[in-house]
Amino acid sequence: MFLLSFARVIKFSLQDIGRNIWLSLVTIIILVLALFSINLLLVVKVISATAISAVKEKIDISLYLRTNTEENRILALKAKISKLEQVKDIEYISQQAALESFKVKHKNNPEILQALVELGKNPLSPSLIIKPKNIDQYDELIASLNKIEDDIIESRNFADRKTMLEKINSITDKVSEAGLLMSLVFVFITLLVVYNAIRVAIYTHRMEIGIMKLVGASNWFIRAPYLLSSIIYTLIGLIATIIIFYPFLGLLQPYLEAFFIGYNFNVISYFNSHFIAIFGIEFLAAALINALASLVAVSKYSKV
Amino acid sequence: MIKLHNIFKIYPPDIKALQQVNLHIKPGEFVSIVGQSGTGKTTLVKLLIGEEQASQGKLIVGGWDITNISQAEIPVLRRQIGVVFQDFKLLYKKTLLENVAFALQVCGQTPKKINSIVPQVMKIVGLENKMNRYPQQVSGGEQQRAVIARALVHRPKILLADEPTGNLDSINTDEIIELLQKINKFGTTVVLVTHNREVVNKLKRRVITLENGMIVNDQAVGKYIL
Repeated sequence: MFLLSFARVIKFSLQDIGRNIWLSLVTIIILVLALFSINLLLVVKVISATAISAVKEKIDISLYLRTNTEENRILALKAKISKLEQVKDIEYISQQAALESFKVKHKNNPEILQALVELGKNPLSPSLIIKPKNIDQYDELIASLNKIEDDIIESRNFADRKTMLEKINSITDKVSEAGLLMSLVFVFITLLVVYNAIRVAIYTHRMEIGIMKLVGASNWFIRAPYLLSSIIYTLIGLIATIIIFYPFLGLLQPYLEAFFIGYNFNVISYFNSHFIAIFGIEFLAAALINALASLVAVSKYSKV
Repeated sequence: MIKLHNIFKIYPPDIKALQQVNLHIKPGEFVSIVGQSGTGKTTLVKLLIGEEQASQGKLIVGGWDITNISQAEIPVLRRQIGVVFQDFKLLYKKTLLENVAFALQVCGQTPKKINSIVPQVMKIVGLENKMNRYPQQVSGGEQQRAVIARALVHRPKILLADEPTGNLDSINTDEIIELLQKINKFGTTVVLVTHNREVVNKLKRRVITLENGMIVNDQAVGKYIL
């Protein structure tokens, strides 16, 4: 009996959608826009997280040492610095290693390499490359390094990559805020559109609803088709979003690959590996919101 | 079958649609409720089908106190009372058969039961040859027959007919009244709400007269006396 009633609820629900096809289409389009903007926001979040971790990887502090400093003094300074609690890792680049690295870096620039030959000596200084444990302790680390007095230190390059990181953080925060606002606007519009679609569907079927009530149809049987319609809207909207969103990611991916060279970043793989979590949660949340809008409309307008 | 004890129905601010109504309709009776427009006849029907609740008093239908009936119980009540209205309330995109079957479908009946009951009821109301026509393809009288068939599919103990002949000519009116009498003979209690003098006088059955929301006359074999 229940299965039979449920089958009839599905039939009536599909009839509702079919008889108000244009309204149903508008509702689904708005839902797609809302879901698309939410997924776009997610892409921005993933990109910014990858960018931030890439920048964090690059953040280090270089201490340039005087040329011809004895190696044991350099190693002593290295040991001293490595004891600092803010230091994750410290690397010693000898004068010779710095020269090799310089040559590799400029292997395609014969003029620079020629200039180096003409100079007749290694002009580069040995250095210590220090990586902080935690980016938040960056300032403390600089303060600690500034306290170290050692005449072998020639110069301290505290290139402020933290400012760059903060800028990235600030930009992504703003983009996320704008995206969130845009998503909220779409969610609100979706709510209104679903509410209106159900209201119009009820108005279209007021005679049928009246007869159903008259002949003793249960309240759930009268309301369920509209509730189901809202869930069908959500399902179609989500499927349409997935169909549109994946080609969009395909277009985006080459640009992201070019931007994140050497980081093996693939936004499509990210969405593939989190498919159930992302679209499952989106379906549940959207279905819940739409069902609520539908329930309010039904309880308000089905009193025929 | 139907008992009303001191029923009042007051609409805000102070419109007394029914006042001090005491009534007892026994099983199998054919009762006409008459009165001019605005005397509370339709309000009485609304109380009996749970569409409205009484402001005061006690209302019992088939031994069930429905004075404070809940929303969830209303469908159960309506499956026990068949209702016929003046304006037919048929779905014009469905055939007469589909209209009658619809009443069973929405109450969860199986296709097998629907296919067995509906043709039987269509035969009772004399529509067995026109059941595949749409409402707009048959006369007003035939539409009203289909409505009566729809009201009968749940095999109700009570049939409430609120001005069922209001939109019909005299020939169709006679046919509908004959059909109601036939249904009454099968044992169904029939409550006919009307202001058609000829119909009431021809029936020679119990007549309850309402005036200003009060019962002013209740005769076992009555006439339209207003």
